[in-house]
Amino acid sequence: MAQPEVPSPEGDAEERRLIDRSASGDQEAFRQLVLRYHRLVINVAFRALGELSLAEDVAQDVFIKVHKALPTYRHDRPFKHWLHRVAANAVTDALRRRRPVVSLDGMEQPPASAVPDPQDVAARHDLQRAVRHAIANLPPHYRDTIALQAFGELSYDEIARALDIPLGTVMSRLNGAKRLLRERLGDLVRSSDDEVEANTA
Amino acid sequence: MLSHATTRDWLIPYADGMLASDERRPIDGHLAGCAACAAELREVRELNLLLVTLPPAPPVAFAPFWLKLQATLPQRRTIKLPTFARYRKLGLAFAVAAIAALAAASAALAAPSALPDNPLYPVKQLEESLQVAVTPSSGQLPLKLYLAGERLREAQAMAYDHKPRLAATSLRAFGVIVNDASAALKHADPRAASEDLKRLRADLDAVERANVTRNDDDADIKQVVAADLDEIDRIEQPEAVTPDPTLIIGTQATPQPTPQPTPRPTPRPEPSDDEHHR
Repeated sequence: MAQPEVPSPEGDAEERRLIDRSASGDQEAFRQLVLRYHRLVINVAFRALGELSLAEDVAQDVFIKVHKALPTYRHDRPFKHWLHRVAANAVTDALRRRRPVVSLDGMEQPPASAVPDPQDVAARHDLQRAVRHAIANLPPHYRDTIALQAFGELSYDEIARALDIPLGTVMSRLNGAKRLLRERLGDLVRSSDDEVEANTA
Repeated sequence: MLSHATTRDWLIPYADGMLASDERRPIDGHLAGCAACAAELREVRELNLLLVTLPPAPPVAFAPFWLKLQATLPQRRTIKLPTFARYRKLGLAFAVAAIAALAAASAALAAPSALPDNPLYPVKQLEESLQVAVTPSSGQLPLKLYLAGERLREAQAMAYDHKPRLAATSLRAFGVIVNDASAALKHADPRAASEDLKRLRADLDAVERANVTRNDDDADIKQVVAADLDEIDRIEQPEAVTPDPTLIIGTQATPQPTPQPTPRPTPRPEPSDDEHHR
């Protein structure tokens, strides 16, 4: 099982001070907190949305929400995980608000070519959009859990801590989520390995 | 041998590498003899590949991100006067009036957080003059300290945003405000004053850091920061040591605060670069 993160006590104490000072309205402290985490949040949003300007807007929303909710934050779980949860909610909301750009049914398989050509890149983008769209349309408990894995790149253990649920529940939710994703993405996840195997047979 | 159904239940944590070797072994055994489960594992892995290959974000500059965010944050500092509690001697009623005036002015005019490069900045300056005008003399010191801090916040943001001229202008305005408040500071509670000056000094350092970090290392900013630090040093020096005539500059028509009982200035070592005055 994944090893839990062990934050350094000094770093932890410093972060705690920044959080407390931010919660009491100290804008410089909040600036430092944002400085620490803006890359992480923009990255989560970008992985979820695939568009930088939109990702930045969502990241701004995340920090506005965080700023508002900081006075209620308790130090009983890592700030990073709490932030991940706020970010995952914001990005999946944003994802659901967007109209799907491609239809899953009409999608073509990306060509199994070793040399990436523009068509290949476009197909890869379509594929990523399809995955994001499929995640956005999962039932909420599946969606929130897999968003932390797919967009937040958290381990099972970190997801358990972020959502405050047992590890077994994380496993069963990811099981359910991925089963549904495979159903909904259909042929897109019938591995290109199969084609390679078929071609080389 | 593990059943078909049980194997399928464990395929996802198996593919995610979440199982210990003794948990993996029976699944390995089943997969070796079951083509259907092996095919399903390939699908699970392909899905995982799709998920992990979602591309990461390209690098994003922090300063513009922060400035945009900062402009949307509620301006709690606008109504939270610095060291208010410690200036209680100056008159609680007047301070309350000052807070009310600040809050009313902020609500009426929508530019409390505008930075010098914002078209609404003149509105903010107007708002501040209004605040100074309506605040009674005993509320002037907390207000001036607040405004001084505000100038430094602007200077820092401008330095971050590669706008050294605007940063230097805010720094000069800071110098004028602090100079203006110097007499009141010298007569205020020495501990409170010392803490306020310490905070301003730290904010000045932050401006200097922003100037250096943004690779501008602008000479004008450095010079004004040095002059502003000198100003703070002068205020912190014991009264007898600083009969400096330059302190008179900029104290035009400032209402003097209520005289305070015996000032007890914090003793500080004399600054070595005293000839650095503006």
